[in-house]
Amino acid sequence: MRRLNLYALTFRLPIIIWQTLFFIGPLIFVVAMSFFVVRNFQMVETFEFDSWKRMLSRDFVWDAYVYTVLMAGSAAILASLIAFPAAYCLAFQTSARTRQIAILLLIIPFFTSYLVRTFSWYTILAEAGVLNGAVGLVGLGPYTLLNTYVGTLIGYLTLVMPLVLILQTVTMANIDDRLIQAARNLGCSPARTIWTVILPAGKTGFVIAALFAFILSFGDFVAPFYLGGSNPPTLPILIIDTTKAGQQWPRAAVVAVIMMVTLFVIAFSAIMYAYRKRASR
Amino acid sequence: MTEPLVSLDKVEKRFDDFVAVREANLEIGAGEFIAIMGPSGCGKTTTLRMLAGLDAPTSGEIRIAGKLMNEVAAHERDTPMVWQSLALFPFLNARENVEFGLKMRGIDSDEREKRAMNWLDRMEIAEFAERNVETLSGGQRQRVALARALVTEPKLLLLDEPLSALDAHLVIRMQGVLTKLQKELGITFVYVTHSQSEAFAMADRVVIMSKGEIAQVGTPREVYRAPRTRFVAEFVGRNNILPGSVTSSDADQVTVETGLGTFSVPGVATIGTKASIVVAGDMMQVGRGENSVDATVISEEFVGSIVTAFLEAADGTELKVQVQERALADLDLQPGSKVTLHWATQDGHLLLEET
Amino acid sequence: MTLFLRTWLCLVAGFIFLPIFVSMLFSFNEARFPTLPLTGFTTGWYEAIFSDPDFWRSAKNSLIVSTTTAVIATFLGFCTAYTDYRYSFRGKSLFLAIILLPPTIPLIIIALAMLAWFSRVGMSGQVVSIIAAHTVLTAPFAMAIIRLRLSQIDESLEAAAWNLGASEWRAMREVILPFCKPAILSSLFLTAAVSFDEFTVSWFVSGLNKTLPVHVLEIVQGTIDPQVNAIGTLVFGVSITLVVISQALIFFRLQKAST
Repeated sequence: MRRLNLYALTFRLPIIIWQTLFFIGPLIFVVAMSFFVVRNFQMVETFEFDSWKRMLSRDFVWDAYVYTVLMAGSAAILASLIAFPAAYCLAFQTSARTRQIAILLLIIPFFTSYLVRTFSWYTILAEAGVLNGAVGLVGLGPYTLLNTYVGTLIGYLTLVMPLVLILQTVTMANIDDRLIQAARNLGCSPARTIWTVILPAGKTGFVIAALFAFILSFGDFVAPFYLGGSNPPTLPILIIDTTKAGQQWPRAAVVAVIMMVTLFVIAFSAIMYAYRKRASR
Repeated sequence: MTEPLVSLDKVEKRFDDFVAVREANLEIGAGEFIAIMGPSGCGKTTTLRMLAGLDAPTSGEIRIAGKLMNEVAAHERDTPMVWQSLALFPFLNARENVEFGLKMRGIDSDEREKRAMNWLDRMEIAEFAERNVETLSGGQRQRVALARALVTEPKLLLLDEPLSALDAHLVIRMQGVLTKLQKELGITFVYVTHSQSEAFAMADRVVIMSKGEIAQVGTPREVYRAPRTRFVAEFVGRNNILPGSVTSSDADQVTVETGLGTFSVPGVATIGTKASIVVAGDMMQVGRGENSVDATVISEEFVGSIVTAFLEAADGTELKVQVQERALADLDLQPGSKVTLHWATQDGHLLLEET
Repeated sequence: MTLFLRTWLCLVAGFIFLPIFVSMLFSFNEARFPTLPLTGFTTGWYEAIFSDPDFWRSAKNSLIVSTTTAVIATFLGFCTAYTDYRYSFRGKSLFLAIILLPPTIPLIIIALAMLAWFSRVGMSGQVVSIIAAHTVLTAPFAMAIIRLRLSQIDESLEAAAWNLGASEWRAMREVILPFCKPAILSSLFLTAAVSFDEFTVSWFVSGLNKTLPVHVLEIVQGTIDPQVNAIGTLVFGVSITLVVISQALIFFRLQKAST
């Protein structure tokens, strides 16, 4: 091993300092802040459980918790199911060149304003919006989609679909073709091949894709706020309400810590599951 | 040998628990072509990297031209290296690659260009000077790498398996280029390779390494005819090794009792010592003579005009005999046939077991 | 079967690209509330935003934030990628974790944490706060792009430079940086694009120095205003340009490497 010298440190220290100041520091502070209290509109740095007691004893917090987990979970499952046939098509029924271009195209919405896309959905889904305008031309509707869980889900899917589709496509494109051919050779129908070969072989990729979908939806406030009408509110909306309106930062911190712990547990289990060797059967 | 150009004194290199080079002692004279060879992982590349200053020895002393080099950084030495991968800079053209070492020494661009072009010309690739190195052929890239290493006119050139990526016919040609260059420049080449044919074709002396230790140093002929350890005997050439122990001893000759009989061999050893008789494959002959053994032919291998027959003796010892292909017709060396092999006593080599 | 899959793929692609398309379409539509049928072509919404000083102020902030972020994040990403490529040391996975972790934490949590932290250390509501936050968010992307490039380097290249008389610093300048140049450029564009679009953290920490996406967020919070479509289309244009340049640089380089 080389001795540490100025050169090596030049490439290490800035990151350690920068990330400590602007990433580790804030994260630890938010945990600490959950034990602060607000008195006379001033935050006092102490170690008390006031905010925890208050937040954990309220039904609306638990309702929001359950609702957020369920919605993010639904979004992850729905996105995975909807993306699968499309990813299958891209992975197995197009040339490598087409696939490359498709992935390039799919990256584009990922880096364009999610906010504007959500606003666009708002105008599409509204009572007097584009969709109802379109179906109205043939004498249907209007349908109420905005300010319902359907709106929230559509928002979540807008956020996560490109990523899930890319991850699933890459996963399936990397499955050894010989495995699939062998299965087909042994008389597996295409549907059975999916079940017996593709899903097990690509398990890690599918689980990671779904996990990312969950993480992104779980932390998103735009879809449930603008498309779901905060009805009911999700955890991120609780954070915004308590910080922006109520100035109750410690309570917001409690919600943030609850979210982090939940995410950690779910991410950890998902990764353990994704990388677990299949048990002997 | 007068003042050696390079000397290694009890040099040792450890990576954590792994000993890459152990107690290496070696002196290399000015103007010598030295080949360091051995199987992969034997420490030959580490030795070369220590000469270049890319790895620091854990203990021991390395001197170049009398100067202790242990603490001298790689960039402060003039020990250019030709890399196995060539390591040409892909974002520079051929001329800029050659100029690199001069640029680092602060030589102005006119002078740099003159000297680089001079070397490209010498390597017969001046016409490709402005070409991107990635568009050159293997042989041309090889020449750029050589020019880049030699442009600073070093006293010592290090070569790390530089020919391993080339086609067989190019290897022979580049061997010619290298030996000619080394003689003309009169500088020291230290050439690391796992290929016995490359080492024996070019080097004045070869260093054979095994498991981090130097097993033997000598001219190709010495190493080939008089291997000092069993490893060397097995590593170089098609040697027959007959293990046994010494039963009687004369002034300059001993007899060794082996599994195939008792034979005389030149050498000195005390009675009872464990020892082997080594007979090179090309010294073995078909027929009955001074020292004979019976064996069954297992298989044959043709390389050019030389045929190597692999045989098995009654006790399972593997034997090899090399004959000219045109002599093959007179001999019955078909797989399965039983033949007798013999060798002259003075062609045998006594190999004492290491203790 | 194939037909079904193709149709499905088109539907999914339609779902992904529909909002982008609709937003562009209605940025040129006359009616205040976007619906079908279309009412008539106008560039009025663009004129409205161009004459809005708030738009220009936030656009300027966005530009400052995204360019500065790109430079710092790319520097941090390069340092991490190079350290990962060159060295192995105890605690290296922890070292990598502190730069790679941010994308796995919801933005809303980072936003709250940054807001609280910055006001604690007296840095709240400034443009530099947004920049600091954005560098943390985008540095992992820079790291990934540059690390990918470094994985293509011949490992002897740097040692070859030392061997020819270059000090470590000189080898960095003469060999590593030129080799990584396409990835560094690509990283600059990509991190700028991500920063240019980010609104959650910006919204929390920006105070009065809002960026363009925060400006959009504030409009959206008020009323239905097709200005958002116009801004969205403009921002889309900028982001797309940056992303396309970034992708083209990687793509071009990979193509070149594979021939």
